[in-house]
Amino acid sequence: MGWFSSSTDDSGPKKTADGAFVAPTKTTRQKCYESRDAFFECLDRNNILDSINTKKGRDEAAKACGQADQVFEKNCAHSWVEYFKKQRVVNYQKEQTIKKIEAEGGEIIAPQLPVGNSK
Amino acid sequence: MSSTSNCVAGATRALKASPALRLPVQTPARRTFASINSSKATSASPTIAASGPQCAFKAGNNALEGARRTQLRTFSSSSSRRALKTIEQVRARNKGGPFNLTAAILFVAAGGGLYTYFTYEKARMARQRIANQNKGIGKPKVGGPFDLVDQDGKQFTHEDLLGRYSLIYFGFSHCPDICPDELDKMALMYEKVKEKCGDVLVPIMITCDPARDTPEVLKEYLAEFHPAIVGLTGMYDNVKNTAKEYRVYFSTPPTVKPGQDYLVDHSIYFYLMDPEGDFIEAIGRNFTADQAAKVISDHIKDWEKPLKKDRWA
Repeated sequence: MGWFSSSTDDSGPKKTADGAFVAPTKTTRQKCYESRDAFFECLDRNNILDSINTKKGRDEAAKACGQADQVFEKNCAHSWVEYFKKQRVVNYQKEQTIKKIEAEGGEIIAPQLPVGNSK
Repeated sequence: MSSTSNCVAGATRALKASPALRLPVQTPARRTFASINSSKATSASPTIAASGPQCAFKAGNNALEGARRTQLRTFSSSSSRRALKTIEQVRARNKGGPFNLTAAILFVAAGGGLYTYFTYEKARMARQRIANQNKGIGKPKVGGPFDLVDQDGKQFTHEDLLGRYSLIYFGFSHCPDICPDELDKMALMYEKVKEKCGDVLVPIMITCDPARDTPEVLKEYLAEFHPAIVGLTGMYDNVKNTAKEYRVYFSTPPTVKPGQDYLVDHSIYFYLMDPEGDFIEAIGRNFTADQAAKVISDHIKDWEKPLKKDRWA
């Protein structure tokens, strides 16, 4: 995996002397988000939800969106890639739960301001 | 026994005496009634008044009142009619009855004024209640002494919070998406509060990841969000203690090797602290920058003690 984000490649997040990623700047964050969105779009097109937790998902994702995945890995720190891939699954499940609750007639009330919301 | 009988006798005497005394008065009175009845048909006039003391007074009174009433009526109507020359003017004036534009405006203004005042007071009381609720008696519930280092490498303790409001956020520079969003929001909040209340709020970010977030890293990282944000870091134990005091949960992976890439899990709240270093309110992610800025400015406006506006200026 290391060669995707090697320090000789200027486009990805930089590393410090001990090999850790330096703190991301606004530009690197932006770049990472863009390649993440591109990768997820590809997953959406191919109807893949989980690209990390199961072997099947990993294989499918690599087959259908290998290119986008490589760009994603290159532009983001490895921990971020993992985080975003897992977050995608969690967000989907959250959405489904909300839909399920609403279909059953329940209501989800977002937490409100305690005071000072009178305008 | 004898005294009682005496009393009774006295009473009887008195009783006997009074009818005897009244008798001469009563007879003419009876006669008067008769005379009234007979003369009533012929004329309702002062002659009746003369005939009996009681009735005369009543009748005279009635006559007087009647006279006064007519006098009043003529007086009042003549005076109001004097101002209005034509019948059209009178009609126009009386058309709407007691309701006219001035009355309506006054009514609406008074009602609106009262409503605004009570709404404002209600909101203020609610805020005060929250502020007082969280104002710990003795040891504060959230927050407490800490000893950290700011982004310039200078010592920064809880005492540096005194004199101004502070908005404290726990985060870390390698945070993928939430912290950058929240820090952007913090910059917005700070700007909005500054616009409304002056430079009385210090935005502070305390890192949950002191191993990677050195003062230099924080300085570079925070400058992108807002130069006013103070970044605090320090020894791991100091940071951990500070987080504990602010009831912030954070988990750095237990065994971090140098160069390892990891994320830190942490709770995400803005903590608003008052100029005495006491916790007021936690502002969560569900608040927009505008809402949060309003909450903060409202609290600041409620503050009655002096604020050190130039402490960090």
